[in-house]
Amino acid sequence: MNFSKLVLTTLASALFFVSCTNDDDNNDAPLGSYDNGVLILNQGGFGHNDASVSYISSDFATAQNDIFSVVNPTITLGDTGQDIGFNGENAYIVLNASNKIEIVNRYTLKSVGSINTGLKNPRYIAFANGKGYVTNWGDGGVATDDYVAVIDLSAKKVSSSIPVAEGPERILENSGKLYVAHKGGYSYGNKVSVIESATNTVSATITVGDVPESMAIKDGTLWVACSGNPSYVTTPLVETAGKIVKVNLATNAVTTTIAYSDATKHLSNLVLNGSDVYYTIDSDVYKMSATATTLPTTSAFSTTSQGVYGIYSFAIHDNHIYVGDAGDYSHSGKVYIYALTSPSIGTLEKTFSVGVIPAGFYFND
Amino acid sequence: MTLKKLILSVFVLLCQLISAQNDSITNLKEVVVSDRTLYSNNKSQSIQVLNDSVIDRNQSTLTNLLNYNSSIYFKEYGRGMLSTVSFRGTTASQTAVIWNGINVNSQLNGSSDFNTFTAPDFNSVSIKAGGGSVSYGSGAIGGTVHLNNNLVFKNQFENDLRLDYGSFNTIGVNYKINVSNKKWSTQVGFSRNSSDNDYDYVGLYTSNGVQRKNENGQYETTNLFANVGYKIKPNAVLTFYSQSSNTDRNLSLISESDSKTKYINTFSRNLLEYNATKERFTTNYKLAYLTEQYQYFENIDRDDFDFGKTESLIAKVDFGYKLLESLQLNGILDYNRTKGFGTSFGDNTRQIGAIAIKAVEQHNEKWQNELGFRKEASSDYESPFLFSLGSSYVFNSFYNLKINVSRNFRIPTFNDLYWETGGNPNLNPESSYQAEVGNVFSYKKFKLTETVYYMKIKDMISWTPLDGSNWSPENIHKVNSYGSETNLGWSNSFGKNNIALNASYAYTVSEDVETREQLQYVPYHKFNSNVSYSYKKIEATYQFLFNGAVTIPSEKYKMVKEYWVSNLGAYYDLGTKNTCKIGVQALNLFNQTYQSVSQHYMPGRNFLINLTFKF
Repeated sequence: MNFSKLVLTTLASALFFVSCTNDDDNNDAPLGSYDNGVLILNQGGFGHNDASVSYISSDFATAQNDIFSVVNPTITLGDTGQDIGFNGENAYIVLNASNKIEIVNRYTLKSVGSINTGLKNPRYIAFANGKGYVTNWGDGGVATDDYVAVIDLSAKKVSSSIPVAEGPERILENSGKLYVAHKGGYSYGNKVSVIESATNTVSATITVGDVPESMAIKDGTLWVACSGNPSYVTTPLVETAGKIVKVNLATNAVTTTIAYSDATKHLSNLVLNGSDVYYTIDSDVYKMSATATTLPTTSAFSTTSQGVYGIYSFAIHDNHIYVGDAGDYSHSGKVYIYALTSPSIGTLEKTFSVGVIPAGFYFND
Repeated sequence: MTLKKLILSVFVLLCQLISAQNDSITNLKEVVVSDRTLYSNNKSQSIQVLNDSVIDRNQSTLTNLLNYNSSIYFKEYGRGMLSTVSFRGTTASQTAVIWNGINVNSQLNGSSDFNTFTAPDFNSVSIKAGGGSVSYGSGAIGGTVHLNNNLVFKNQFENDLRLDYGSFNTIGVNYKINVSNKKWSTQVGFSRNSSDNDYDYVGLYTSNGVQRKNENGQYETTNLFANVGYKIKPNAVLTFYSQSSNTDRNLSLISESDSKTKYINTFSRNLLEYNATKERFTTNYKLAYLTEQYQYFENIDRDDFDFGKTESLIAKVDFGYKLLESLQLNGILDYNRTKGFGTSFGDNTRQIGAIAIKAVEQHNEKWQNELGFRKEASSDYESPFLFSLGSSYVFNSFYNLKINVSRNFRIPTFNDLYWETGGNPNLNPESSYQAEVGNVFSYKKFKLTETVYYMKIKDMISWTPLDGSNWSPENIHKVNSYGSETNLGWSNSFGKNNIALNASYAYTVSEDVETREQLQYVPYHKFNSNVSYSYKKIEATYQFLFNGAVTIPSEKYKMVKEYWVSNLGAYYDLGTKNTCKIGVQALNLFNQTYQSVSQHYMPGRNFLINLTFKF
């Protein structure tokens, strides 16, 4: 009878469609060794628990994605990869939303432990005096609970915490001192704190420019790239221009400030390389001499021909420029590698597809 | 023949019932429903009705009721957590929830969280697939879900109490009292459903070998409602509906070291309505005041929170005139004023005025034609001209054909327009054209509904990164959706044995026009079925749900795998004159590990005991 046939067909087709999808196993085998190359931390989508690490060898011949999971299949790296710090044999991977640090052997990526307590909104990590120092925002909405966690590296535990001003972000070590840039967290900062690793106390606070985004140290001078307040700040704040501030580390005094006059220029990703300084604005790479007294108005090259819309991460290593492109922030990101000098700055040499939102380059050699 | 055997066994195993689902609007004469035209004016589309006997046999959240009894796909962030839908492959804000005839989707994000509604608070829940913006406004693109309180004008004094206790310290109290005579009708009630919700993730362990469990997942939903009707004259009724609701939820962690956060959602909904008929004229006035608020606590141990709140005033007049015995015309004027404010946006007020004209021609007993137009004017955006055109023709007792074509829309929300930072005040509404053909076959005790549809949606609002740090919504995507919905119902009695079954299957393709990819979190396949068997005072039910795999916005995990869940229930009525029913349910009977949203696992096998009293 037609009707019952129809019913049966419907049910049969429903059954047919109960087809199965295969487990999406990563069939890659561990390479065994991930040195002589760069580790790329992919932030992943917030709330997706899908941070990952990619590897590209120095000769660009070998690349592998999701290497933490390949080596440690039973461990989930975590939510929102923020930073990697190397200390001795170990790499410390800071997971912002997971409030933890996964510790691996930096060359094999094999897990050697994790730090799961004592961190709240951890950001960046540095090492001094045999201890780890991790900047933490605490609750994002609270301006007064920010701190630097001190890590006992052998016990793999937070041993104490040092209260600091709101929004501690990048942290750099130099001669037993730690320099913490207060980008501002949920608000907008303009200071750098100095922490003595011998006493774990803040010994000085240096006012730099608005939104200190990245730092570098060379020959007793701290270079701070300040992005300036962005266009969308609310009154009483106003948009401010990016600037580079140089601090004499012997006196903690600001010696030089070079700024843009155009308040819409917001620089980031400061890198010192040889006698040159590099930074980025949107999708352009700028280069100037370390002795320059004004900021260049024209870029060294632009990444727009690769479709990059805002350079997300940036590094220079061995005559190559590494650019991380987050794309639409939900699909695989891209890493573009450009020539630094030869044949000319900005010549595209290689392109790699990596994880979601490539957030940082960590050279492992 | 083996295939036939296989199919038959699947039939018996998977299918199920909902006897009540069809033709349940009985005795309309003594019942006042606030949404008078839902059934009479929409014969060109299919409407599924879940009445109180179905509601009683399901878990109390609206999510569970609809997930196991309709073809709507649910995206639930762990048991009891945020729960949104995709209907016919559309987004969460393209399905409208209609409370007693009023659209109550959030003005802040455009969607409804189905875990903030408790199904036993309502007398019936109806699901209308397909476009409905001419009648129900913004968001009625994929379909509409109607929550109805019915007021009865007859002498009665009736109490309805349901008590639930289950695994993870899940406690539910749902109570309603109906007191009425021929002039007055009152329905008052409350519900409170809570759970520690600390279930184990079946078969999942941390890297140290510790059993993983749902941490920070506790929830508590409280509702109070009062509905009153007064018959001023036999043909003039004044009604008032009121509900307030509070859902206090911590958010389940995705890994053990995450920060613990929580949300509190509060709603109040009030509707005053006057309806009168005189000869060829009908008048209907509605005045509604709605508020919604969310509070987000970044740290459950601290009292400070972010919040957003809206307050809406809605006024509506509907004049009807019976031009011919077979032709009913309605003219509708509608005004909506919504004020929104909160931590992430300033104080903004939006006003919308709308005019609509509807015509229903009852050509003869077999043939009904429906036509409607709607045009809105708003302070914030350009609104498209909306229409709906449909026809239903009953060829014979075996076959009924339904055809409907409509244009529908979803307006930009307060978040889209005013969020600081990124809100874009220049957005247009999302809009869609939709066509559907429905076939209803009836044969003996079988009823089979098969609907195919095609939908083009443009100007989909999507938040995209403008540069590294600043995101803003834009009208960018275009989506084509098409698919079919099949629903089969059957019930029969053999002496004191009653068997009923209902099964539905949805095949959904929802494709981004540019990328040619299926939208994320839209399954190609969803199948669900219910079988119930009763003998005298004993009843057993079996529910089955299959959700196909979905792609998700994570390159690493790529998809959420397909899953199937079964629930088994047994009930015994101890009462003689009144109902006093004891029920035991084994949920996720086969202890499946599954998630509907990536990283948010659902519970394994768990149990629920209910006591239902009607006296």
